[in-house]
Amino acid sequence: MKVEISRRRFLQGSVAMSIVGASAVSATNIFASEHDSKKHVVGIPDTITTKTSTGKAEEVPFLCAICVNKCAGFARVEDGIITKLDPNPYFPKSRNMLCARGNAGIQTLYDPDRLKYPLVRIGERGDGKYKRVSWEEAYNAILNGTDKFKGILQILDEEKDNRSTIGYCNGEGLSKEGFEVLMGEKIGTPNYVDEISICLETVLGGFFSTWGTYGEADLNNADYLVIAGANRAEAIITPDTLDLFKRSKGRGLKTIVLDPRFTNTAIKADRWLAVNPGTDLAFVLAMTYVVFKEELYNKEFAKKHMEGIEEYKQHILSHNYTPEWAEKLTNISAKNIYKTAREFMAARSPIYYQGRRSVFSNNDFQLRRAMAIFQGLSGNMDKKGGIIYGEKLPLPKEDINAPIYGQALSRFDGKGIAIPSQKTGSWIQFRNMILEGTTPYPVRAMFMRKHNPMAGVPNTKKTEAFLKKMDLNVMIDILPSDTTMFCDVILPEASYLERTSPVASYGALEPAIVLRKAAVKPLYETKVPEQIYKELAEKLSKPLWENTLKYDEDVQDDTEGMSKKELAEYYKENGYDLAEPWEKSVTEQNEEKIVSTYGEKAWEILNERGVYYPHIEEYHKQININESEYYPENKKKYTTQGDKLKVKCNLTNLTKKGVDAMPTWSDDMQFKVPEGQFRLVTGRHAQFTQSGTTNNLMLRDLVPTNYLWINSRIAEEKNIAFGDTVEVKSSVGEVTIKAYPTEKIAPNQIFMLHGFGGSSAEMEIAHGNGANDAIIIEDKIEPVYGAAVMHDTNVEVRKV
Amino acid sequence: MNFIKKIIPMKDFTLRSLMQFEKTPLNMLMFVITIALLVAFGWGVVEYLVHSHHAYNITRQHPWGLLIAMYIFFVVSSTGLCIVGSLGDVFGFKDYMAMSKRAILGSIVTILAGFAVIAFEIGHPVRMLIYNVLSPGLTSAIWWMGTLYGIYLTFMIIEFIFLMRNDMKNARIFGLTGLLVGLAAHSNLGGVFGFLNARIISNGVFYPTYFILTAFITGIYLTYLMYGFRYKMQIPDDIKKGLLGLAKIQALLLGILMFFETWKLMTAVYGGMPGRADTAEHIFHSAGFLYGEVLCGMVIPFVVMLATKWQSIKLYVFTSFIGMIGIFFMRYDLVHDTQVKPLQMMKITEYQLPPTWIEYFPSAAEIAIGFGAIGIFFMLYYFGQKMFELDATEH
Amino acid sequence: MARYGMALDYKNCINCKACEVACKEENGVELGAEKHRIWVGGNNPEGQWPLLDIASAAFLPSQCQQCDEAPCEEVCPTHATYYDENGVVRVDADKCILCSYCMNACPYDARYVDDRTMTVDKCTFCSDTRLARGETTTACQNTCPTKVRTFGDLDDPNSEISELLRTREHFSLKSHLGTNPKLFYLT
Repeated sequence: MKVEISRRRFLQGSVAMSIVGASAVSATNIFASEHDSKKHVVGIPDTITTKTSTGKAEEVPFLCAICVNKCAGFARVEDGIITKLDPNPYFPKSRNMLCARGNAGIQTLYDPDRLKYPLVRIGERGDGKYKRVSWEEAYNAILNGTDKFKGILQILDEEKDNRSTIGYCNGEGLSKEGFEVLMGEKIGTPNYVDEISICLETVLGGFFSTWGTYGEADLNNADYLVIAGANRAEAIITPDTLDLFKRSKGRGLKTIVLDPRFTNTAIKADRWLAVNPGTDLAFVLAMTYVVFKEELYNKEFAKKHMEGIEEYKQHILSHNYTPEWAEKLTNISAKNIYKTAREFMAARSPIYYQGRRSVFSNNDFQLRRAMAIFQGLSGNMDKKGGIIYGEKLPLPKEDINAPIYGQALSRFDGKGIAIPSQKTGSWIQFRNMILEGTTPYPVRAMFMRKHNPMAGVPNTKKTEAFLKKMDLNVMIDILPSDTTMFCDVILPEASYLERTSPVASYGALEPAIVLRKAAVKPLYETKVPEQIYKELAEKLSKPLWENTLKYDEDVQDDTEGMSKKELAEYYKENGYDLAEPWEKSVTEQNEEKIVSTYGEKAWEILNERGVYYPHIEEYHKQININESEYYPENKKKYTTQGDKLKVKCNLTNLTKKGVDAMPTWSDDMQFKVPEGQFRLVTGRHAQFTQSGTTNNLMLRDLVPTNYLWINSRIAEEKNIAFGDTVEVKSSVGEVTIKAYPTEKIAPNQIFMLHGFGGSSAEMEIAHGNGANDAIIIEDKIEPVYGAAVMHDTNVEVRKV
Repeated sequence: MNFIKKIIPMKDFTLRSLMQFEKTPLNMLMFVITIALLVAFGWGVVEYLVHSHHAYNITRQHPWGLLIAMYIFFVVSSTGLCIVGSLGDVFGFKDYMAMSKRAILGSIVTILAGFAVIAFEIGHPVRMLIYNVLSPGLTSAIWWMGTLYGIYLTFMIIEFIFLMRNDMKNARIFGLTGLLVGLAAHSNLGGVFGFLNARIISNGVFYPTYFILTAFITGIYLTYLMYGFRYKMQIPDDIKKGLLGLAKIQALLLGILMFFETWKLMTAVYGGMPGRADTAEHIFHSAGFLYGEVLCGMVIPFVVMLATKWQSIKLYVFTSFIGMIGIFFMRYDLVHDTQVKPLQMMKITEYQLPPTWIEYFPSAAEIAIGFGAIGIFFMLYYFGQKMFELDATEH
Repeated sequence: MARYGMALDYKNCINCKACEVACKEENGVELGAEKHRIWVGGNNPEGQWPLLDIASAAFLPSQCQQCDEAPCEEVCPTHATYYDENGVVRVDADKCILCSYCMNACPYDARYVDDRTMTVDKCTFCSDTRLARGETTTACQNTCPTKVRTFGDLDDPNSEISELLRTREHFSLKSHLGTNPKLFYLT
């Protein structure tokens, strides 16, 4: 008896179907997979998992994009179908590994709910009624609108060619830059927001302003590690995760984990310190106090490389940041603070791990500064076992001929923010100002790509209202996300396994260039992003140029009296031809970049191995069945800075902007939870990235839904058992979720995995599964960059 | 037909007469029950054919369920009836001579009912018949059990033929061989559990011997029920003597069983060995064990027999019904208890409770097939009674 | 002819379950909570927040232990479970009658029912996929971020696994049952 379970049948059998009722009828047919009725569709496997064959197969190098990390792999392609993804042993960054999500990338490629055709909205925003159209029709709808929404041309006409009336947002990835080029440089709006201001902005800012780099932690050679709030066992970053856990647990790398939760990283620690959320700064300041008080720091290094060290020492000692002071704030005993500070400075190669992650608290910028300076005090910088500056392999930059639009106004979301980012802005401020109508000019259209603010930006209610306020929403994505369902024109993108992407350079200690090649052709009618940019640019270019001519006085002056031919030349020369950056295909551009910089042979190697760095053929050696050596020891870029190296303790120019020049504790940073409430913390599991992986069949098997971690003693008091449904309510919203009583979390805190609780009915598995934390996280921003603060929301929990 | 009659003497019957019976309330009740059970069995089989094993509540951690228990229930009954039947024709105890035919018929129809159950438990019964021969797994207790039961059934049928022909010499020969094969098969069934090193609660000598002991007990209970029904409680004297004797044997056997069980539990709990002691304690606290096995299966029948000084046949018939409920729980529990302790005691996902005792409750399809097979037993037994003269005692 | 075994540097394991997914994708294993050939075990930590017992929560990656004296093979009535020429415990789906005896006999809970063939399935060390193509690693080993596993020929004294087992202390799971597993946990 042979029963093959098809993708669709599996879903019907095991997932409560959410798409019912009349409103979804028209949409269902469009979104639904083609192989509903047919048995077999070329290019799509019949079964969910496909046993690899012993026959012929092609191995195509790819670069994973199921999270932001960038691991290299080879896709095994049999008969036009990817049957397996294997790790790439040549890439020093990902060291011959693919995680659970990386392996499950196949399921995203073949997700039955994928966006398959261009769609144009025919119902109301959010009701899921769309019409399948051709690409040409979709581009036309963007340009000219339909009876349901305005086109971009009309909007720009009404706004007198103020390009800033267009906002755009974008998700991380190798094709991100192209979208920024199209929207920012060519179409010419400054109003861009992306993941930076809802992710790690202060982390980058803090370290860059102190060290001049974010650096790489050489965990292969370090011997002491303090890792705070970075859950490397579950939020996998390569090569950090790979190096760390091979040497933890008494095998050379003593590991101290600070985390309010007992994470999987804590399980691998020598010591777990359950720090109160948002109080890491007090911990670092107290450690710094011990180090200064007991004169434990590397004086030679400090003298040579640390600017403002004496002021900082004075600052710390005079504020009396003693461990006893910090104990009350942090929930970490003074004894442990003394011990950790002393051990750290006594270690040969100690690292206070930078820990890239979202902004959790208001003081995150100063926390990063304090961490960076503390690391500097050990002197373990720019050397083996320390923080590595290293070198990047250069790739030629493309010159973009960006036109100038006289009517475009500058961005507005920096109001009240100390150091607003001109490029990426502040998502929350941007959204809220538009919503409140406090912008200097109307923002009327959103162009979005691979970005799901409905799940990513705190306070979903506001995001929804923001999207509804727009005259035009355009989305380029691979899945019908919650945000996609509020868009007017939807352009289906090829997933990372179906596209060749611009080459990229990674790593500093062991730098390498990596190539993603399309393993299979784009499925359905999807297109690779660069092709979409090109075609959209071609469609918009002339009409928008006409609009500029109509309103832009500078251009009118310039072009006055020009002949048709001269005008065409002006248009070309001044960059008004929007499609010009994509004249060459991605592959041609890649080849040009590599061959011009590294030669023909490099291109050949890159194509075959997916990875290139100078001397790869000589340097790369497999040292055992699992591991490789990428660079010989003496060729690794351990030390590159020499005297240039500076650790800036006292940033006096910050004072003018109202930011402390040196990390300082203030009383409003205390961790406070009103009686009967809980502090909400969020985070990751290793089997799940964000809302983008909630519809992945394979990963759903591993993490079926998100649960609310609640301390088991509190749960007992509240009569809440495992699996009970509870309501979690904050000042901005409420969600229901299943409870998971555990001792791994403090009695006054709760945790839920980020990214669940999708509202898009077109994602069958994700829809209504679990809770979306963005609904209840209050939309607060930190003062330095205006980045979203994720762990500053108190909530109430009750059993329902 | 005549050809068959030459081999095995039969009553004169027609299809029509087979279907006719005296419409007493008890007979009507039995008729309705039998039909209901057969319908349930049929429904269960259809469920199974449509959904295969998904129709059952068996899982990775609890792969054996009610159907295995019912299979054991039937084959233990068969062995028990075989032992009772053998008392007269094999061992020559005069008082039991008259029971042989009925008991041996009973042993044949019970094992057929058991096979009907197992056919829908084993995923590929036809494949089993083929590879049992082509690729015998001689280290497998299931192979021996299955093979020996096959041979046993053959011998039982031959014995029954000789009994019907009143050829007591040959009946004795085949009866003895059948009994020995049956005992071997049956102890191998105990061995199926006893050999499980991984399941320390079941591992060891207990189940193979326990199976023989409880088979005998089951055989006696069933004998009471068959005669109680046959004579509507008006037991003729030639049978009465044997039945009263069986009561004494039963009381003795129950005494031994209680002694065995007591020591099994004591040795299991003593010393607190993980996996054995905790499981034994868990079993000891389960309702199935306390009320089913101990109370119904052992204590009530034992006390009744003791209290009535082995003289109250009518009461024993009712007691036997209670006893059979106890026997069912013994089968069900032994299957469940073997698997109740998880072999993998760690959590394999974050969001689960730590593994504790494995829970199992049979699905509707399992219940339909498992208990529906009792209908098969009733039906076959009814036709057997109609077709063969089971009460002829003169020889 | 080889005698394949696997050494597990289990302290490296971070419970990311890459092995489980790689196994399912490589071998076309069905989805479903019960249908895993490979898994990682963990425990709730003992103690109360914040004084939790770190050691009590350690991870233990597991799969079929590829016993030299496999109870599942011994109890199979039709020799559907057999040792292949490399000592790998395999199931011949054509012979399996789904009596489930092996599932009960396996001390490691390593077997499950494949609903497509309605036979018992288990870890094959990728014998019919990767090894059959001449590769020298299993899917679980190859993909592992922290490189827990080393797969190789125990009969070859020069193999990496032989070297590891000569030089590092190790233990087997439930070794008191006499199953002689060919999975070795390095300490």
